[in-house]
Amino acid sequence: MNTAQQTARVGLFFLLGVALIWVTFETLSDGKIFKDNGYTLVAGFENLKELKQGDEVRMAGVKIGSVEKTRLAGRRAEAILRVEPGIKIASDATATIVMAGLIGTNYISVDLGTPGSPALADGAELHTKVTADINTIMSEIGNLGQKLEGALASITDSMKGKDGEPGLFQKIDKLVSANTESTTVTLSNLRDITTKLKDGEGTLGKLINDPKLHDDLLATVAEIKSAAADAKIFVTETQGILAQVKSGKGALGTLLYDEESAANIKATVKNFHDVSDKIARGEGTLGKLLNDDALYIGVQNTLKKADRAIDGLGDSGPITAVGVVAKSLF
Amino acid sequence: MKQLNTILLGFGGAVQLLLQSCKYLGTLPRQRARFIEQCYLIGYTTLPIVAILSFFMGSVLALQSGYSMQNFGAKQFIGSLVGLSFARELGPVIVAILVAGRVGSAITAELASMKVYQEVDALVTMNIPPARMLVMPRLAAIVVMMPILAIIGDLVGWFGGALVSKYVDAIAIDPEAYFSALRRYMKFKDVATGLVKAEIFGFVVVLICCSIGLNTRGGPREIGASVTRAVVASLISILVLDYFVTKALM
Repeated sequence: MNTAQQTARVGLFFLLGVALIWVTFETLSDGKIFKDNGYTLVAGFENLKELKQGDEVRMAGVKIGSVEKTRLAGRRAEAILRVEPGIKIASDATATIVMAGLIGTNYISVDLGTPGSPALADGAELHTKVTADINTIMSEIGNLGQKLEGALASITDSMKGKDGEPGLFQKIDKLVSANTESTTVTLSNLRDITTKLKDGEGTLGKLINDPKLHDDLLATVAEIKSAAADAKIFVTETQGILAQVKSGKGALGTLLYDEESAANIKATVKNFHDVSDKIARGEGTLGKLLNDDALYIGVQNTLKKADRAIDGLGDSGPITAVGVVAKSLF
Repeated sequence: MKQLNTILLGFGGAVQLLLQSCKYLGTLPRQRARFIEQCYLIGYTTLPIVAILSFFMGSVLALQSGYSMQNFGAKQFIGSLVGLSFARELGPVIVAILVAGRVGSAITAELASMKVYQEVDALVTMNIPPARMLVMPRLAAIVVMMPILAIIGDLVGWFGGALVSKYVDAIAIDPEAYFSALRRYMKFKDVATGLVKAEIFGFVVVLICCSIGLNTRGGPREIGASVTRAVVASLISILVLDYFVTKALM
């Protein structure tokens, strides 16, 4: 082999090696050959958990980019996301850190947002939401386990008893033992009652067993229904009457709701009041009749005279009756 | 005590040879033809065996790990396992061992022959330092070729793992998933670490082989003994250095 051929082969081999190193570098450094494809978004979180550079960004499960960088920014952690060109992310879309596996693989999930929302521009900030990671869940499960253990211990204590206090079962046992006699009597009474009920004895037994009582009950109910219907009609009529009265119709309506009648009644009452006043003061014929004794005395004298005249008439005969009356009177 | 003395002598001789070679680094452009020849011998002719060995090492690694990992449902991580193992550890070590076995033994045999047959003495007589003409081009060639052999070894090993993962029924993982897992858990830093390790191993192997070859004393029988000693010393150095370099690069 001549030197030129050897040199060419070595040169080719060298170039191949350098190319392979370069391809490996580009592939592993950011997952693609050409950098700065697409645009970046900033997602701020309280804690990035296991998220690291190169992790995927997915929208509805489809990979749309990757985490370009993670950094601390003041009191929060920020993930710089590189999103593929042509993918629009709505301004109200929310990013969450999602756990892909139990061994610490995470990715950022971005939801679709509201249709019609404006798309985020390069360098814009995404809304984020905190989700529970496996550590939080485990911690919660641990707390739950402790609470469960406490609850079970309390139940066990109440069942078995604690510090010399009898447990629930002991208490129940004691209660049952102490009241065995009463319980037996009660049960016996209950058995008697149910037997009587079954045999149709007593009011309740008859109520249950006697069909006549049932029929009577049905009839009574029918009567009550009928009475209720009558009452309903009565109430309806009464309501009609009341409506008429309220509308001022009829004597009662006029009396209650007619202004003119009210004025007449008031005037009549006032007249009565005036008349009664006059009578009380002895004015007028009726007042004098009631208050003046002279009229009474006069009438009494007249009646006495008439009495005497009648007596004289009886004695003298009817022919002189006129003369007697005239004499008695004059 | 005598063995320790031999080791120390060998270590000292190698360091001395390295310093002498570095002194002649400026003469490299003038020795371009020699450098190209060494690149050809060290790199180009070693490529097939590196590729074959790496391919089957990757395949076996995928097969073994896939067989074990399917028991607990983690076979989707075969890609990352094979990738990381090859890039960080297996690739550089395999390539260095192959270089020690194939190139290192040849270098020692050649230099030991030259030494035994007094060619080296002739060079010295002509005021041509052996470090300049025989050692420096080889060291320069291994420095250039070793990362290339290592990256090819890595890639072929990954590819072998991917093929086994796809076509072995017990594993049955698509190459896409395999390389996705590989990429997910790997950074170029892992590969670069492996390349640096391969560089160091290769350089040490060539230096040891040159040093032992040039220090051969006696007759032709010593040539074989020097080759054996050079290969053994190279392998031990590779594995001892592996630990310390790995720890230093972590």
